[in-house]
Amino acid sequence: MGRGYMVEEAVERYLSSLCSSSPLTGLLLGQSSAQRDFVVMATRTPQREACPLTPSPRDTLDMEWINEHARQVSRMLPGGLSVLGVFYISDAEAKDTLITLRQLVFAVQKSISRDLLWLSGDDDISERVTLHVNSTTRKTFCRTFDVRDPKSTAKPADWRYQSGVCGSWPMVWSCVEVEIPVSLPPRGARPGDLETSLQEGLKLWAQQIERGTFLLDGRKISEDTELTGPTKRNVKQSLQAQILTTPVCPGEQVSQVGASGGRVVLRGAVHTRAYLHGNKPTARLAEKALKRDLLSTVALRLNMVLEELMETQERDRLSLPTRVMCPLRGLGVGVCDYRFSDEGPLEVLDRLKEILDLEVRQEDLDHTQEEEAVTVETQPAPNEGVQRSELQAAVVPPLKPQGRSYIGAAMATVMALLAAAASLLYLDD
Amino acid sequence: MVYTDATVPENGIIWRVKGQLELRCYPESTDAIKKSISQTFETLRSQMKSESLVFTVCDSSVVIWPNKDVYSPHGEVSSNTLCEELQRWIKCFHYLFVYSLCVIFVCVGLCEHTYMYLCVCACMYVNVCMHACTFMCVCMFVVINLCLMKEVSRPGPLPVPTLTRTLQSGHALLTTLPMDCVIRSTAHQPIGVACNHLLDALTSQLSEMEKAALQNMKGTTLLVPEPYHFLLPEPRGLVTIVYPAGVPDSQLESHRKELHGRFDLPEDRPYFRKPNAFRFPDQVHKDGYLRNPHQVLTHPSLDNGKLYLVQGVYSYHHYMQDRMEDNGWGCAYRSLQTVCSWFQQQGYAERPVPSHREIQQALVDMGDKQASFVGSRQWIGSIEVAAVLDQLLGITSKIMFVSQGCELASKGRELANHFLTEGTPVMIGGGVLAHTILGVAWSETTGQIRYLILDPHYTGAEDLQVISDKGWCGWKGPDFWDQTAYYNLCLPQRPRIF
Repeated sequence: MGRGYMVEEAVERYLSSLCSSSPLTGLLLGQSSAQRDFVVMATRTPQREACPLTPSPRDTLDMEWINEHARQVSRMLPGGLSVLGVFYISDAEAKDTLITLRQLVFAVQKSISRDLLWLSGDDDISERVTLHVNSTTRKTFCRTFDVRDPKSTAKPADWRYQSGVCGSWPMVWSCVEVEIPVSLPPRGARPGDLETSLQEGLKLWAQQIERGTFLLDGRKISEDTELTGPTKRNVKQSLQAQILTTPVCPGEQVSQVGASGGRVVLRGAVHTRAYLHGNKPTARLAEKALKRDLLSTVALRLNMVLEELMETQERDRLSLPTRVMCPLRGLGVGVCDYRFSDEGPLEVLDRLKEILDLEVRQEDLDHTQEEEAVTVETQPAPNEGVQRSELQAAVVPPLKPQGRSYIGAAMATVMALLAAAASLLYLDD
Repeated sequence: MVYTDATVPENGIIWRVKGQLELRCYPESTDAIKKSISQTFETLRSQMKSESLVFTVCDSSVVIWPNKDVYSPHGEVSSNTLCEELQRWIKCFHYLFVYSLCVIFVCVGLCEHTYMYLCVCACMYVNVCMHACTFMCVCMFVVINLCLMKEVSRPGPLPVPTLTRTLQSGHALLTTLPMDCVIRSTAHQPIGVACNHLLDALTSQLSEMEKAALQNMKGTTLLVPEPYHFLLPEPRGLVTIVYPAGVPDSQLESHRKELHGRFDLPEDRPYFRKPNAFRFPDQVHKDGYLRNPHQVLTHPSLDNGKLYLVQGVYSYHHYMQDRMEDNGWGCAYRSLQTVCSWFQQQGYAERPVPSHREIQQALVDMGDKQASFVGSRQWIGSIEVAAVLDQLLGITSKIMFVSQGCELASKGRELANHFLTEGTPVMIGGGVLAHTILGVAWSETTGQIRYLILDPHYTGAEDLQVISDKGWCGWKGPDFWDQTAYYNLCLPQRPRIF
């Protein structure tokens, strides 16, 4: 008995439209649940600018590029949504492409997992879908693989198109204040100390969030409670969440005042959001999806500014990019992007087109969920050296990403930082 | 017959809030450490007024924002909800049986017999006057446990995070403070009032912790201040004292002296040693031994009789525990272990209950036995018990001797006085058996007597039902003793220390 995929009708139209540009790879996005899986969107792998078009089917696919695209896509998905699998459009026979598809789906999964700040729990679905579309006949061939099992074989799966798959999916959201203070070891110590210290701080903060108490709509409800759907069909249900935390206790009896070379503090608030499938979602799912989104959005934004922080010694204050939400019309779910303060909405629209192949109108972008950092540089008092600044009006120009989009920005060291942190954190039921 | 006092406190509610608060400061130099710590405590105190401070009621879905007057579930719980109504929301209650030993002065009862006592024993009279009547008062309290938390979610939108780096040679201190406050309320008080009291208690505990932290700082080492709850005689009830972590009781004597003075307590018995700390019902003893099994028994009532029982807490030690197969020879050792457990749990001794081997080794060390004694299955008697108590715990004992078991019936007065003034378990050995006497029921007028016996010969599991039903801990009459054998009793004396 294979898995059943309920697929948004728009995906069928999209895949059809791509057939003329075959061969083509891409990603399938949505949410998995124990009973069935929901595919809400598909996005093609964009052309790599330097390379010529249409490699022959025999050519090995540009795995590195596909993986990088998958990572970029993953970052633009709010909680609850993830890369469920891959598709491949070509004129070859379906059975001939199975090996390629298998290779593809494992590589993409591995690449995305490196970024995750948690280890998947036992109840996370590890089946990923591979879809082959024959560009001439438009016939689809759908199989799944268990990406946790390197020896897994293809299992048949059901691929069914339907309208309004995520029409009444509840959305859970919150505005969460983040405060991560990190003490730096004394000067003259090893150069990697800033990374290590931040890694420690992020880990502790993630533990606090993981253990934190979760409230939905102002109430503490038991994990197994099914969230009742909206009273009317197709009315968006929006649930505000709250998180209560307590410090992680080292349990020591004696504490030492140690030498320190300074400190780094991350302070501000983020908007966190998750979409839950409409098939009797539980409070546990809401908590898991939202907390994971919270960890992701902080970690990946920190990642975006970290390299700059490590390279320069002059910059003492960097603000993280703001999150721009982009609800997708007619779908019921949305995606997001990150905008630095010197960027305008056009850059966001460009990225949405390039990475997610979405045509979005400027008025559809929602910039209101987060405010820009109001930052400050004040003159340090003569005898005090560097000191903490007070809030005033000047906006400090923040870090710009290299190039117009994120694709191609190889941030290997920073990835290693977060990957190391990933092995230490996990969100589990 | 339990002697009751008319002023038994009304059944009330104990609120206990626990949580961690982060103490983080960055003193610029070692000279500035204390000032920096004080400033940080000031900040923590102001956080007690923060709107993001939250109490979650354990084992329930109730969440309270005391500084915002917000209660969840909204509409069902509010600041006017009565404390007793809040209990509906809690899944399991913690009932607290409080045995409080109150010392009152009996005027009337004694005066009639004063002249008799003067003839018998002058010092006993003094003792009796001072601690004229000991009674056990059973009060039932409900304990509501709360957890102190902080809400990190906010009504948005708010500015996005900024990463600020301050490079500055200095110092850093990071630790967490184990907050633990207790307040008492009546069932009819609204919970809003209780929450305000809890906030006050947290704020003042922070001040006490600041004092304890600064007083006990050694250079750059901070001893984390830890709260302990102690049950004092009514009407004081539970008080919370902050001690620095890791400091043994022997070094806290001056602190305790000040406390005894402050609370007007006699200096001849400990109230504020760490083992005296009050155990809440949800704090289970992890060692697996039963505590005070005699408390579930129905005590006998004699004509004009009174109860004189062991004061405080002991553990039940008996055959076959700790994987030690001492069936048939270890009864006196087990009784000794019960006695040692009493001294340890009342705070008179810091060392744990000794094993058979340690007991034997102590006797060898004293020169009382040959080296081959260690590891043997030889019996010991009251004399050895007294010697080991002295050697290992520094406790002196009185030995009482009866040449015939039937004479024990006439020892009512001595035993009653022992339990009144010392309150320690008594080890009795004679014939071929050893037992522990936990108390007597004795009538001065009729001379009737019953003995509360804890039997170390039990070989089963720690099953309170079996132990009480089958009389392993139970009341026995004078015919319990071998009427012709001679008996030695070891009556351990409570050190007059605090």
